[in-house]
Amino acid sequence: MNYTLSSLIFLPLLAALVVLLLPTRMQQGIKAVTLGGTILQLAVAVWLYLSFDGASMANGQTGYQLVEKLDWIGFSLGNLGRFQIEYFVGVDGVSIGMVLLTGIVGVIGVISSWTITKNVKGYFLLYLLLMTSVMGCFLALDFFLFYLFFEFMLLPMYFLIGIWGGPKREYAALKFFIYTLIGSLFILVVMIGLYTSVIDPEATAQQMGLLGQDVPASLDLIRQVQQMLQQGTIAEADMVRTFSIPAMMEPANFIPGSLLHVFSGVTLFDLPLRFVAFLLVLAGFLIKVPSVPVHTWLPDAHVEAPTPISVLLAAILLKVGGYGLIRIVYPVFPDAGAYFSTFVGGLGVLSIIYGALCALAMNDLKKLIAYSSVSHMGFVLLGLASLTNEGVNGAIYMMFSHGLISAMLFLVVGVIYDRAHDRMILNFRGLARRMPAYTAFVVVAFFASLGLPGFSGFIAELLVLLGSFSAPESTGMLPRWMAVVAVIGLLLSAAYYLWALQRMFFGKYWIFPELREKAIISDLTKREYLMLVPLAILALVFGIFPHLLLDKTGMSVTGFTELVLRNGQEQLNILQAILHK
Amino acid sequence: MTYTLYRHVEEQAAYLTQAIDSILAGAGSLLPELLLAIFFLLLVTLDLFKSKTIKRLLPWVALTGLFSVLVLLVLDRHLAEVQFLNLLRSDGIARYAGILFSLTGIFTILLSLQNPKIEKRKQGEGRGEYYALILMLVLGLNLMAKSVNLLMVFLAIEVVSIASYILTLTLKEEKRAVEAGLKYVLYGTLSAGVMLYGMSFFYGLTGSLDYTLVSFWRSLLDASPLMVTVAAILVFAGFLFKISAAPFHFWTPDVYQGAPMPIVALFSTGPKMAGIIVILRFVAAFADPTIANAFSDVQLFLGIAALVTLAVGNFTALWQRTPRRLMAFSSVSHAGFLLMALLAFGSDYTVSVLFYMTVLLFMNFGMFLFLQMAEDNWQVRTLEDFQGMGPRIPFAGIMALLFLLSLTGLPPLAGFMGKLLVFSNVWEAYTATGQTLLLVLLVVGILLTGVALFYYIKIPYYLFLKRNQTDENLVISLSNKLLLVFFALPLLVFFFKPDLLLHWIEKLLA
Repeated sequence: MNYTLSSLIFLPLLAALVVLLLPTRMQQGIKAVTLGGTILQLAVAVWLYLSFDGASMANGQTGYQLVEKLDWIGFSLGNLGRFQIEYFVGVDGVSIGMVLLTGIVGVIGVISSWTITKNVKGYFLLYLLLMTSVMGCFLALDFFLFYLFFEFMLLPMYFLIGIWGGPKREYAALKFFIYTLIGSLFILVVMIGLYTSVIDPEATAQQMGLLGQDVPASLDLIRQVQQMLQQGTIAEADMVRTFSIPAMMEPANFIPGSLLHVFSGVTLFDLPLRFVAFLLVLAGFLIKVPSVPVHTWLPDAHVEAPTPISVLLAAILLKVGGYGLIRIVYPVFPDAGAYFSTFVGGLGVLSIIYGALCALAMNDLKKLIAYSSVSHMGFVLLGLASLTNEGVNGAIYMMFSHGLISAMLFLVVGVIYDRAHDRMILNFRGLARRMPAYTAFVVVAFFASLGLPGFSGFIAELLVLLGSFSAPESTGMLPRWMAVVAVIGLLLSAAYYLWALQRMFFGKYWIFPELREKAIISDLTKREYLMLVPLAILALVFGIFPHLLLDKTGMSVTGFTELVLRNGQEQLNILQAILHK
Repeated sequence: MTYTLYRHVEEQAAYLTQAIDSILAGAGSLLPELLLAIFFLLLVTLDLFKSKTIKRLLPWVALTGLFSVLVLLVLDRHLAEVQFLNLLRSDGIARYAGILFSLTGIFTILLSLQNPKIEKRKQGEGRGEYYALILMLVLGLNLMAKSVNLLMVFLAIEVVSIASYILTLTLKEEKRAVEAGLKYVLYGTLSAGVMLYGMSFFYGLTGSLDYTLVSFWRSLLDASPLMVTVAAILVFAGFLFKISAAPFHFWTPDVYQGAPMPIVALFSTGPKMAGIIVILRFVAAFADPTIANAFSDVQLFLGIAALVTLAVGNFTALWQRTPRRLMAFSSVSHAGFLLMALLAFGSDYTVSVLFYMTVLLFMNFGMFLFLQMAEDNWQVRTLEDFQGMGPRIPFAGIMALLFLLSLTGLPPLAGFMGKLLVFSNVWEAYTATGQTLLLVLLVVGILLTGVALFYYIKIPYYLFLKRNQTDENLVISLSNKLLLVFFALPLLVFFFKPDLLLHWIEKLLA
């Protein structure tokens, strides 16, 4: 077995152990170890990205690469048969971009954290734990493993915001924790429902004695087991229930009579239970994305978090939400995904417009950028809801591109905050005169974010809009006005960025008198160049050569949309009877 | 005349020999209890001596007793499946419960040894009595777990209660302790009386006290449903009191406030676990759908009790300002979770319940050890007193964080596994029966985890997020550190490899 993915996940954890053993006063050493750990992680991620074969993807169910599968927890619960939790990781086109992004932002974040002075050891320990859990989230293919990493992200984040944050840090940290915990509890309900409903055909075959230990099952045998399951000829005690996400994606693996089976006929609030489950997981991940109306934790968390943590939060933590939708919600509940596509797309459009309007109204530069994140993540929802190849590719591209660009945006806010200990837009004017290089990067970041052609954001928005425009014909999802309204969002984002640029950076140099005492307005330092230059270059490269990422994601996305549309249609037909009762 | 008398005596004698035979046959199964009783007497006797050396040895004698019982229970397979008359049954559940109770006793003594208030009292003042009563309490717990007869349940509960009343009053020079003790006695005797009253109803209705018999339930089927429900509610009042479930939880915060910390830790685990096992045996009959359908009122009552307990425990905990009261309501909420698990009829929940209780044992003792250190060494009385302590006690602070997160039920700690198992059982039961009550319980239970985070996180919040003037490190004794690790380690192990424990429990139950 190849342990590349495990090394990706556990390298930061290893570095964390080293940091733990270092004495507290060796601050430079601790920073160096953290940097080394994340650079190694990045190196493996880049190697993985380059060696990832984007063309080999057959469909969304098989074709994960570098799969590692180990038995982890297995127990039998009396008459319920066996339960099986596996250490099951793998990478496909959906996750490869996120893995690379995590690697890149991880290193940038450490460089940005170099100025941390308070409790250095604790900070970098938590930082490394966070990196492990984010990476684990993107690579896990077992729902339990995913959930473990997903929940474990909250804790380091809570302390990173709560201890090293701004004046209202306690409030923001708690709000973040509670919000996301509630979200993950929704996910937990559905996870329990799913794993009691789904069997692993291969392990079940072994349990029934149809297959020897450690022999891979043939496709025929799996089909046979699935058929037997649907006919009800497998004894309860032989069923091996599983958390495996690929197993959950196949309707044939659902145990007849279980509540989440398409034929179960169980309804709650006049909706099939599957739809209720879909809405619950959807809500769980939407909090993370975040989408209007459950986004209110985000501005608080961003404003109070220290710069590097804002960077991590915006660039990779939010992506877990969108990623979860693509990895779990839609493939497992394709029927509900198709049924609620207008609803999800509508939330996306709402986020785009409402986020942009809020950004327009903000006086705090960091809040402005936080709301711009809400607005941009709306495109992810819209693209995904279209269920077209372009739309889903666009959603993934948007997550990747937003990761790079939002990192840059929060870094530039950090730059001004470090100097003036203030970031209110109206307190500054004409900064371009004093900080020309800084202004140049701000312009790059703003323009990349508002979707100027040549930057990665443009490709992402273009794909999403193409997908949502064509969706009514090609997949029958989404009304056409949604794409049209989303375009208004682009206009608004141009407005708030350009307006902020005009107010803060152009004109005669002036800063608010009370700030003058403490503020030392100087241009970028070498460390800041080191962070901003690579991000700017990457945003440009992925803007000019979109095939760099699209070649990797394309086949997986095709598999994803085919699976969701095919299964979704089939299951919707079955559920029609309930829906139109 | 003489002949008939002779016949009569002979009959009696035959009956007597038969009874003695069955007592002797079953006596072997009572070895752990006998051992506990012997050590109890030994402690009481040793306490009579004035020698300081002997006084110092007392806790270790108690520990030896508990430890030998533990070893006996872990190793001896022959204890299983023997019935002592129609009163006590030594099955796998009782054996595993016995192991848990021995551990509870051992942990309580370990905590007491770390407690300056208990250890540094004037020599000879009730020291032997304290440790002896812990043994007696464990003995009572064992009997509770083995009882299959209502009268025996009552007796066992009373043994536990009487020991509990006195233990609450250990520090009788403190006003709080006296208040707590008085409240406890009043509530306790009342609930015992009510329970006994209910049991008499059952006896009247069925002519039997052995509630594990099918005939017991069959004859209840013929009785007036109203009477049965009333009797069940009365009996459950006593059970719910013991596990501190709402609406019989009012004693909990006061007793937790007044009793010495090791005893609070004991109360939060031992009697609760034993009470749950009593209820588990009582409702085992409901696994049979015909019986379950006939007594749906009782189930509804239990379900509502579980819901109310969960709600009261979690929401009241939000307003608490002292760690002791916070933990009191946390313990109420855990009673709710356990009650909920017991309602998942149709799924095989015994393993999950035992697993949950094991986890509860470790996390509660860990947390109470931390609180004991905080109270005695750093004079922490309210939650605010924890302000900024985190950086001064990094090690203990992180351990406390682990315990609290496990109590909340977050991964990667065993508390999460326990909840996951319980929720899975409830989901399974819902799938099988389609009872809306179960779904409501499941959803409420899961959502209240979010509320639970809100109050559990308060301690780490004050520890780490709030700042304090000094950063000077506080010294923690090595034994305390080791104990903290000892309680925390299983929480991680049972998360990452819960099957180790689950397989073992299954083997014991099989």
